[in-house]
Amino acid sequence: MAEQKLVTITIDGKAYQVPAGENLVDAARNHADNQIPVFCYHPKMAPVGMCRMCLVEMGTPERDPNTREIVHDEDGNVKVRWMPKLQTACTQTVSDGMYIRTTTDQVADARNNVLEFLLTSHPLDCPVCDKGGECALQDLTMAHGPGKTRMVFSEKMHLDKIVPLGDLIVLDEERCIQCARCIRFQDEIVGDDVLAFHERGRTLRIITKSDPGFDTYFSGNTTDICPVGALTTVDFRFGARPWEMTSVPSIDPWDAAGSNISLDMRLDRDFGGRAMIKRVMPRQNEWVNEIWISDKVRFGHHFTRAEERICAPLLRNNGNLNEVSWTEALDTVAGVLKAANGDIGLIVGSGASNEDLWALRQVVNGLGSERLGAWPVTHTGGELIAQVGVGKGTNLGKLGKGDVVLIVASDIEEEVPIWRLRIKQAHDRGAAVIVANARKTRMDDFASHTFRYEAGKAAHWLADLKKSAPEAAEAVKSAANLIILTGAEGLTLEGHAALMQAAANLLIETGHVGKPNNGLLSTFPGANGVGQYYLGYTPEQSVAMAAKPPKVLLVAQADMLADDPSVAAWLDKVETIISFSMLPDGITAKFAKVVLPIQSFAERDGTFTNGERRVQRFYTAQGPMGWSLPLWQIANRLGEKLGQGKAKLSAAAVMKEIAASVPAFEGMDYRALSKVEKQYPDVGGASDSYYYSGTACKNTGGLGVVIPTAADKGETVKAGEVKLPAVPKAGKGEFVIIPSTRLYNREAQFKLSTVVHPRVMVPFAEINSADAAKLGITSGDVVQISANGGSVRVRANVNGGAPEGSVVLPRHLTDEPVPMAITVGQVSKV
Amino acid sequence: MNTLQEKYADRIETTLAKYPDKRSAVMALLYIAQEEYGWVSPEGIQDVAEVCDMDPTQVKSIAGFYTMYSERPKGRFWLQVCTDLPCALKGAEKFHHDLKEYLGVDEGGTSEDGMFTVEHVMCLAACDKAPLLQCNFHNYEHLDMEKMKVLLDQWRAEVNAQVNKS
Ligand code: SF4
Ligand code: FES
Ligand code: FES
Repeated sequence: MAEQKLVTITIDGKAYQVPAGENLVDAARNHADNQIPVFCYHPKMAPVGMCRMCLVEMGTPERDPNTREIVHDEDGNVKVRWMPKLQTACTQTVSDGMYIRTTTDQVADARNNVLEFLLTSHPLDCPVCDKGGECALQDLTMAHGPGKTRMVFSEKMHLDKIVPLGDLIVLDEERCIQCARCIRFQDEIVGDDVLAFHERGRTLRIITKSDPGFDTYFSGNTTDICPVGALTTVDFRFGARPWEMTSVPSIDPWDAAGSNISLDMRLDRDFGGRAMIKRVMPRQNEWVNEIWISDKVRFGHHFTRAEERICAPLLRNNGNLNEVSWTEALDTVAGVLKAANGDIGLIVGSGASNEDLWALRQVVNGLGSERLGAWPVTHTGGELIAQVGVGKGTNLGKLGKGDVVLIVASDIEEEVPIWRLRIKQAHDRGAAVIVANARKTRMDDFASHTFRYEAGKAAHWLADLKKSAPEAAEAVKSAANLIILTGAEGLTLEGHAALMQAAANLLIETGHVGKPNNGLLSTFPGANGVGQYYLGYTPEQSVAMAAKPPKVLLVAQADMLADDPSVAAWLDKVETIISFSMLPDGITAKFAKVVLPIQSFAERDGTFTNGERRVQRFYTAQGPMGWSLPLWQIANRLGEKLGQGKAKLSAAAVMKEIAASVPAFEGMDYRALSKVEKQYPDVGGASDSYYYSGTACKNTGGLGVVIPTAADKGETVKAGEVKLPAVPKAGKGEFVIIPSTRLYNREAQFKLSTVVHPRVMVPFAEINSADAAKLGITSGDVVQISANGGSVRVRANVNGGAPEGSVVLPRHLTDEPVPMAITVGQVSKV
Repeated sequence: MNTLQEKYADRIETTLAKYPDKRSAVMALLYIAQEEYGWVSPEGIQDVAEVCDMDPTQVKSIAGFYTMYSERPKGRFWLQVCTDLPCALKGAEKFHHDLKEYLGVDEGGTSEDGMFTVEHVMCLAACDKAPLLQCNFHNYEHLDMEKMKVLLDQWRAEVNAQVNKS
């Protein structure tokens, strides 16, 4: 980037050098430590100048009309020509020679008056308001407002206090101060303009008349940036006062974005007087999630303290699981493992932390087995991520004009919503977003070009881009920066492998590797899909185990039976299954000989490696449920029983060992991972930031460390052969089944969210209208879909979404599993 | 095809043609919706949103901002009586009061037969012709209750004739 041009502005008599073009409110904060009060201005959105809270005096130096020289007074000071009226600072960008005054009586008066005006109709219900204690209006009134009102209104304006704007957000109309932050967030940042003002003056209200209403995946963020308590979440409403809670840094446990979050904890009667998650808030990390999180992260935390949690080790006797002590359980498992003669397999889900993966691997390796399977078996190509993944220093928030993001085979909004949010904004800044998929997805709305390929043929399409989409090929070639983002929708594992290789080749051929904002990304499922690869786990190993089942199988944090109907058949062939699980699932119910209860991310320390290879720490927030233990610790204790050495005392110690043994993690320890630096915009923490940017937390837990790729380190990376896979073909009377992802689903953990479940869709499948006509199906009909030895009943949704000859079948909406990868099957009307 | 598109295809087309993009036509289209439904009903909002390819929330917001869109059902005849100062000096307040009494309605209310809605409004820019009212946006000037009763009967008769015909 070119050296930034600096200009000189004078604020309250002192000169400052600030970057040209910066917003005046930001410049004053960042460089002059002058907190100009704002309500409507938000550093992440375009200014609108609606509230008038930011009024300042503004002027320019007086110049001699003849010589154009700056005029000085007798004392030699520059004579400033002040504008007769105050100006809104938020709508000014700094320019050279600008003079600003923020401490004069005129400015103080203006602030006082704006506040007095806002308060003429604002209810004084701070004692019962969720924002009380972190409210912009409270804070600014204390700092600049009138102590008393001069108004003689017998009545304030009364409006509705409980207006649900969707299933998750509730509006208190009287508290709204009409800053339009929520409206603009939905419009500018999310791209779903479902909120608007209605009427005017004192009766002005926020409304939504859209169908569905205010239910984007990001709605919770509006409650953070609302400067008052007008918007509240159904989850936190009246739940606690801000000052009663302790913020514990943590990481989004659901997807590859690895959003930084804060778990706001309070000792609570509802949880036996123990520390309980009262709310989940975004924690600023400008590299990862800025100050936003998806509603799944915000509202999906209830599983950490759910009654359903397994709270003690269980041992199967005569077909029934009985609670036993840890000693007995571990002795049994150790016995089973020793007797297996090394015929041991391990499958770990993508929600397990790096420490867990490492510790479990030690146990299995120690017994002479190398069978480390990653679950689920959808995404692969970790080695390509390690070669040409997005370069160190990549920041999706910095993409703009001249840059290209190519998204292939992903329904990104459903898979990694925060990436979708940030790429949408890159598009707004001028980046070309190219979306290719077999069907229409939400991202099409924010794309510069969209392409369709035949279901299953993503790699075919990309490998031959010049022919299949010359326009895209041209854009990619001339891109200043290029990121290729792959998903695995409608692909087999081989299909995704081929797609990853094709993407890597394209990046290498066009020279878009080893630099920030260039490289490969993939929507690996779970919080630690990429970590699995770095610690030696691959989905191919899981596939190999299915083909040749081991004698003893350890399954950790992987709800395998809910993921694919074909799993049950091969699990049957395993002699002994040991399960490490948080919640009861198909494996604990029918298969496991021993069930070892593990802790959730909230109960323990650990690290996840996100999709951009950023290793990030999460901290212990909640006490353990029952006798559950962190997965790594169980593995360590097991190792101890097997004579593999003493158990580590902390997750930090496990990370030390990883750093010493796995080159990718070299030099990483918990201290390095918890480093923070100053970030812009400057949010949270001090109370003055509430009004500036909302209640997102300052980052105290660490910004994480990115694992460099081979290309980053200057190693030569070579294109490889793309092994185009065979694509499932539907025979007569058959359909191609394209499994898809839904953010809100009925996966075991998410199902337990007490607030989101009304929003999880009734199981459905999209069917092409031509096919539907042939089968006599109309929208809403129940259809039976059978494939891979399983069958489910779902409602038909007849639309143009599914390509002819195929059905798009969302995973994890039904109780029974649907196929994990593209396949063929039968569809019939019930 | 929604109701508006079916019934007013030509007018929608000429309206859209007047603007650089569909979105700009929203206000003109809202008048058509108001004409069709008698007020800017939820169906009307939906219809207009579809025609201009906008989110219904945004259409509703516009309808809410301007007072000449009615967001409540109205009688067939929407009588807006000016009671601003110049008119008031010429007896408009009394006229407004008498009219309501005659029709048996409160301010903003609709007569039992669903024919007339009476509302007081700000200056209609015809102060010299007071007392006056606007009925469905047409001015009727120099009124008194005698003249008014004639008009009311006339309007009622028109509607009845129409109803009988169909
Ligand atoms: S609800 Fe909150 S964010 Fe939205 S306009 Fe009102 S005060 Fe602003
Ligand atoms: S007008 Fe500047 S912050 Fe609202
Ligand atoms: S005051 Fe009544 S028309 Fe002007």
